[in-house]
Amino acid sequence: MAERLDRWADPPLLVLASLAEGPKHGYAITQDVDATMGVRLSAGTLYAVIARLESRGLIEPLESEDRRRPYQITAAGAHALEREADRMSKVALVASSRLTAQGWAGA
Amino acid sequence: MSPQDARLAPAPRPQRAWLARATLGLYPPAWRARYGGEVSALIDQAGGGPRTVLSLAGHALPAWVWPPRQLHDQPARMRSSLSTLLLAGGVLTGLGLVFAQLTQFQGYWVPGHPVVGVAYRVFDVALAASVLIAGAGALPLWLVMLRRAVREHRARALAWLLLPVVVPVAFVLLLVAAGTLAGGTDGVGTWWFLALTVSGFAAAAVSAFGPGLALRSLRPRGPALRLATIAACLAAATLVAATAASAVAVIGLHAWPFVATLPTPYFRTAQNGNFIRSFVYVRGFPGHFSGSITAAYLVAVTGTAITAIVSAARGARAALTTAASS
Repeated sequence: MAERLDRWADPPLLVLASLAEGPKHGYAITQDVDATMGVRLSAGTLYAVIARLESRGLIEPLESEDRRRPYQITAAGAHALEREADRMSKVALVASSRLTAQGWAGA
Repeated sequence: MSPQDARLAPAPRPQRAWLARATLGLYPPAWRARYGGEVSALIDQAGGGPRTVLSLAGHALPAWVWPPRQLHDQPARMRSSLSTLLLAGGVLTGLGLVFAQLTQFQGYWVPGHPVVGVAYRVFDVALAASVLIAGAGALPLWLVMLRRAVREHRARALAWLLLPVVVPVAFVLLLVAAGTLAGGTDGVGTWWFLALTVSGFAAAAVSAFGPGLALRSLRPRGPALRLATIAACLAAATLVAATAASAVAVIGLHAWPFVATLPTPYFRTAQNGNFIRSFVYVRGFPGHFSGSITAAYLVAVTGTAITAIVSAARGARAALTTAASS
């Protein structure tokens, strides 16, 4: 069985990536992250991340009519996500090229 | 399913949602007030299985130790830390005095092991320093609150503020009365000692609760609160050092064969008829032979010291953050 590395995924990054699509509340974030990135965020992890991102000004809460408060990414959050996406793209590029060079790609 | 669809998706059947919601009780009140409703809504939609319960429980402690910045109410944090440290300090001081009376005041020492003697000295210096630091740092705040309670005719707050003065005086009068009635030149009996000890802890608790209630009622802010918090944190640190020294001495006395040297300065004072010292002795009670008493003492001081350290760290951070931003 192939070893999965998603347990090392960075939850703040996943939440920011999810909110880059538009405002979402907690349940919608967990569904989106699971559906698009294949990672299941638990309630404790999700709200620990939301609290940290909010305290750093990377996301902000919106008004809500019920208990499900939506969040949206801020300009600072979008900038941080862009930088991290660039870095990850470089990592992905290096990894792919080296795997191909060594004949591991598709193995 | 798109995230927008997720908003409209039927909620899965909640499983063990009550347990997950109960786990929210482990979080700080400010955290629950801000995020509790949202997490409950998430639990209602996603279910509250064992993974959710474990996840919530696992993140509760970090929420106490590193609360999110947007939840910070620095003056409230300092007042809360002060109240906790007052209580923890009272308990640790009380336990420390019991330790002193059952060990060094009775001249117990361990031949060939200077560790216990050094621990006694460290304990004496650290305990005295702790009381002095806490008293000096808290005095301006106490005076500020006292003046305000008088000016605003708040009789109840005034009474709470006077408790740490009135109750210790009453306790000393009780000690004098007990020493006169039941004490001899070589101290009181075990049951009297136990009764006085329990009374002492009750007096310490009432003395600590008084200012704590006054802090909640008057909600002071400003430099006096900051000074008192920083002093309380330093006092807590020295008190923890005293506690550690007492733990070393207790373990040493339990592990190594010890002797009681009667002609200690304390005992000489007692034999000279000074009942203020003699009545607090308990005759021939080497409690450190007992593993259960030793273990109970160590558990009590360790638990209280951890509480004091955590509260002091949170209070100090609030005080320093406020100082930096003012």
